[in-house]
Amino acid sequence: MKRIGTVLLVMLMLVGFAGTVFAGGTSEKANPIKLGAVWPLGDITGAQSSKAAQLAVDEINAAGGVLGRQLKLTVIDSELKPEKGAAALERLATVDHADIFVGGMSSAVALAEVPIFKKYQKVTVWTGAASSTVEKAIGPDANWFFHLHPWDYEQGESYVKGWEAIAKKYPQVKLGKWFLAYENGPFGTSSFAASKSLYAAIGTMEGESFKSAATGGGDYTSVIEHAKRANPDVFIWAGFDADALPIMQQAKAMNFAPPLFIGAPPGWPADFGKSPLSKDVVLYGMWAPSMSNVNPVSKHFYDAYVKKYNEPPATYFAPLSYSAIYIVKDAIERAGSLDKAALIKALEETKYESPLGQTITFGPSNIIQHQGIRGQKILQYQKGVQEVIWPFEYKTADLVYPFPGWNNR
Amino acid sequence: MAVRRLELVMTKWNRPRYWVIGGSSLAVAVLLLIFRPYVLISGLQSAGLYAAIALPMALILGIVGIVNLAHGEFLMVGAYLAYFFNATMGVGPLASIVPVVVLMVALGIGTYRVSIRKVLAAPELNQLLLTFGISMVLSQLVNLIATSQPRSVSMSYATVSATIGSTSFGVFDFVYDVLAVLILVGLQLFLKRTRSGKAAVAVGQNPTGARLVGINVDGTYLLVFSIAIGILGILGPIFLVRHSVFPMVGGAYTMKSFSLVAMAGIGNLTAILWCSLALGMAEAFIKSFQGYGDWGDIVFFLMIIVVILVRARRTS
Amino acid sequence: MNQRSAIIILIVVGLFAVTLPLYAGPYPQSIGQMVFLYMSLAVSWDMLLRSGQISFGIAGFFGLGAYTSVLTVLDLKLPPLLSILAGGILAGVVALVVGFVVLRLRGMYFAIVTLALAEIFRVIINNWASLTGGPEGKVLSSVIFGGDARLLYWLTLGVAVLTLLMSELFRRTRIHFALTSIRDNEVVASSSGVNITAYLTIAFAVTSALQGITGAAYAQVYGFVAPDGSFSTDFTLLPLAMALLGGVYGSAGPVIGALLLGVASEFLKLYIPYGHRIVYGLVIVVVILFLPRGIAGIVRRKRAPREGGHA
Repeated sequence: MKRIGTVLLVMLMLVGFAGTVFAGGTSEKANPIKLGAVWPLGDITGAQSSKAAQLAVDEINAAGGVLGRQLKLTVIDSELKPEKGAAALERLATVDHADIFVGGMSSAVALAEVPIFKKYQKVTVWTGAASSTVEKAIGPDANWFFHLHPWDYEQGESYVKGWEAIAKKYPQVKLGKWFLAYENGPFGTSSFAASKSLYAAIGTMEGESFKSAATGGGDYTSVIEHAKRANPDVFIWAGFDADALPIMQQAKAMNFAPPLFIGAPPGWPADFGKSPLSKDVVLYGMWAPSMSNVNPVSKHFYDAYVKKYNEPPATYFAPLSYSAIYIVKDAIERAGSLDKAALIKALEETKYESPLGQTITFGPSNIIQHQGIRGQKILQYQKGVQEVIWPFEYKTADLVYPFPGWNNR
Repeated sequence: MAVRRLELVMTKWNRPRYWVIGGSSLAVAVLLLIFRPYVLISGLQSAGLYAAIALPMALILGIVGIVNLAHGEFLMVGAYLAYFFNATMGVGPLASIVPVVVLMVALGIGTYRVSIRKVLAAPELNQLLLTFGISMVLSQLVNLIATSQPRSVSMSYATVSATIGSTSFGVFDFVYDVLAVLILVGLQLFLKRTRSGKAAVAVGQNPTGARLVGINVDGTYLLVFSIAIGILGILGPIFLVRHSVFPMVGGAYTMKSFSLVAMAGIGNLTAILWCSLALGMAEAFIKSFQGYGDWGDIVFFLMIIVVILVRARRTS
Repeated sequence: MNQRSAIIILIVVGLFAVTLPLYAGPYPQSIGQMVFLYMSLAVSWDMLLRSGQISFGIAGFFGLGAYTSVLTVLDLKLPPLLSILAGGILAGVVALVVGFVVLRLRGMYFAIVTLALAEIFRVIINNWASLTGGPEGKVLSSVIFGGDARLLYWLTLGVAVLTLLMSELFRRTRIHFALTSIRDNEVVASSSGVNITAYLTIAFAVTSALQGITGAAYAQVYGFVAPDGSFSTDFTLLPLAMALLGGVYGSAGPVIGALLLGVASEFLKLYIPYGHRIVYGLVIVVVILFLPRGIAGIVRRKRAPREGGHA
């Protein structure tokens, strides 16, 4: 019995080994244009990116494809591990023969993916990586690299610009003293480092680190206590979605209600809007579902996504990845071929009206040549819904100021 | 009889060492109350949380002898069950404790029957690997069903606050301290006063011997495991009230509980309360120095190492 | 499985492994890199386990080796290959120093303390930003060997072979009997003249140095270090799972386990994009329930038992 078990196990292993190593990518049907994508499918950002990208591919194919050919999207899970992200790219390049790379979420994974990008130098339209460490790793010569996600310093610069504009429009808004509570990992620390110098233009900034609930922490007593003592005009916290509600709960329990309460996590928990504690919380972001009310492209994307997947898009990565596919499609059509030089030139001419609200074009950032989105938006939770406050050309509501305090909730 | 017992208790505790510890702790507490009251409060609250979660793991480790690496994942499942009841039926987390405990005990019994029982005869490391596998299955299953986006409930009582002087603080988290004491007392009563409890202690000390005197070892293991998972079923919904839950939230609590149990000494339930108190206060104290909060983790682990080393030196 | 067939299998597998880059593309080679690095961790963990000591601190020495390698290359301009050696040496020295204090512990207490140490290393590196770049880590200007897939593959294969050589050294010398007797019964061992402290120290230092070398190789192959990435608990838990699944107290077990789990995780995700980790966990649960001695244990049971009961 054990003998049979052993033999079966060994055969299984051999099959598995062979299946992985030698598994062919696509069966050549009608010579589709192959897009290779790497996203963390175990995380909601990656899972929805993959779905949104597939939605775009399906729409394009239904409308006749590109240059008479169908698009084929192959997505491999990065598992949020750097070495797996790198291996995924190797597979997409050599087994699936991808023509173009898309994808990306995590900066840490991107660090291991960059050497592989440079190895194949395929045209790459990347939706992830905000850390400027990644930008330094890519370097100024990678003209085949098109980056959609704003870098951390670009985000900071846009917020400063936004607040200056808001303060001008709403003169009652006071921005002299800032307190930033940042989580002690790479995301929070780089947010603080970027913000400290940038916000000097509008006021003074004090900061303190805390351990995020996402990494096993979740106690904000000391940062809130110190913030109370500092009595700032603006309090922002840069942590993760798991911190959003607990930090509001503790702020309420400790009776801390600065005139402006900003949350700057990369994503928000599912039911934050339903909580009465979300009222008038300002947030940083790239997109809100409410944009469907003011932007037809947004509305089309939102409705199509909900119709196909029976769930609402939860983070900005969904419309961002959808945009990436369309940007690629437009560029291929403009270039008339998949020739790399022609593609690069065509991508440089990108003017895509995205469901994120803005028209995406590429221009230089600090180091790389082709940066797509160069700023974020400032939003606010009003009546349980994320509304865009700034930039004013995409706004869906007006700022409510000051933060109303805890009494009626 | 009661007087006699009181006398014994008094003599047991009336030693210079305990006077020193007790006196200095009181002094520290008073100082904190004057200068940094929030350290005292948040220290107590985190101590309660750590202790309450660690006690069931100590129970399993002490009696059944296995390190349950899926400990945090069971807590997470309990919390998600409470969230489910809240999202679909509008039942508050506290009200859902009873059904959640029932479901969790069922889960515990099922897990024990299907997997753990088989591995008890195998080397201790196999048990470790099994629970690691179970933790992966649980967290990934929840991830598949509920996605990685955190879930939370917003109950009005979660933010009930009190004020001492100029410090306002949340009162809800003291529930963990109450729970920790209740769980400890309950477990001690169970282990020392009830028949199955005493049998469990015997099994924990010497399974072969216990079997020889006729104790149903397998039944005892099942009972203890179910009690531990059941306790997590109580803690899960309460955890949900003040934490956002996501599939991987359990991992950090498994590690913390494991560290606490090792620090207290395997088999010593009461010491878990003292150790978690020390750790919670130390953490809160370090964090109260603006700019040094990052070092709180080091203090946590250093204290654990020091206590374990000191105790090893004393017993060798 | 007698000696001769074992050697034949070894030669065949070895030839296959070494010549893989000649006929397989970069993707299988990149899987190979991952498998070899984890294999090395699994084997080195097993080497210490043979003394009865369970370590939960692999990630700590792995990360120390990684950081040493990157920092010596960036700041001291050390050649990358030498920096890998430097990573191993630093990890070994740290192990010697902490081992002095920590090796007197046994069982779960030793395990927890090694875990605590790994976390302490991580936090120190995370906070000492002026030296280590803080939470964002550091990036190498180029990956070792300019990213040549074949050389990277052979480098990681070399690290795995080095670890296996050390593991076999442990098996075929006096160290084997010393460690096994310590594991079985320390009282008997010390009264038979075995210097327990010395052997434990050797084992701890050597295995930690190997883990440091592996970490350094990882940093050079992927080109970066970061506190969360380089000290991830995956580097502790996954090698443990691989060694236990494959069968402990030997070299073959961790190798088999690393091959199985390493390839399985890639394979599963290609066919089950959502939820492959559930299957991965189930594989672990099922195999450990039905093969309590691991996969290598199936074979080993057939050999005449020459070691006393080791549980």
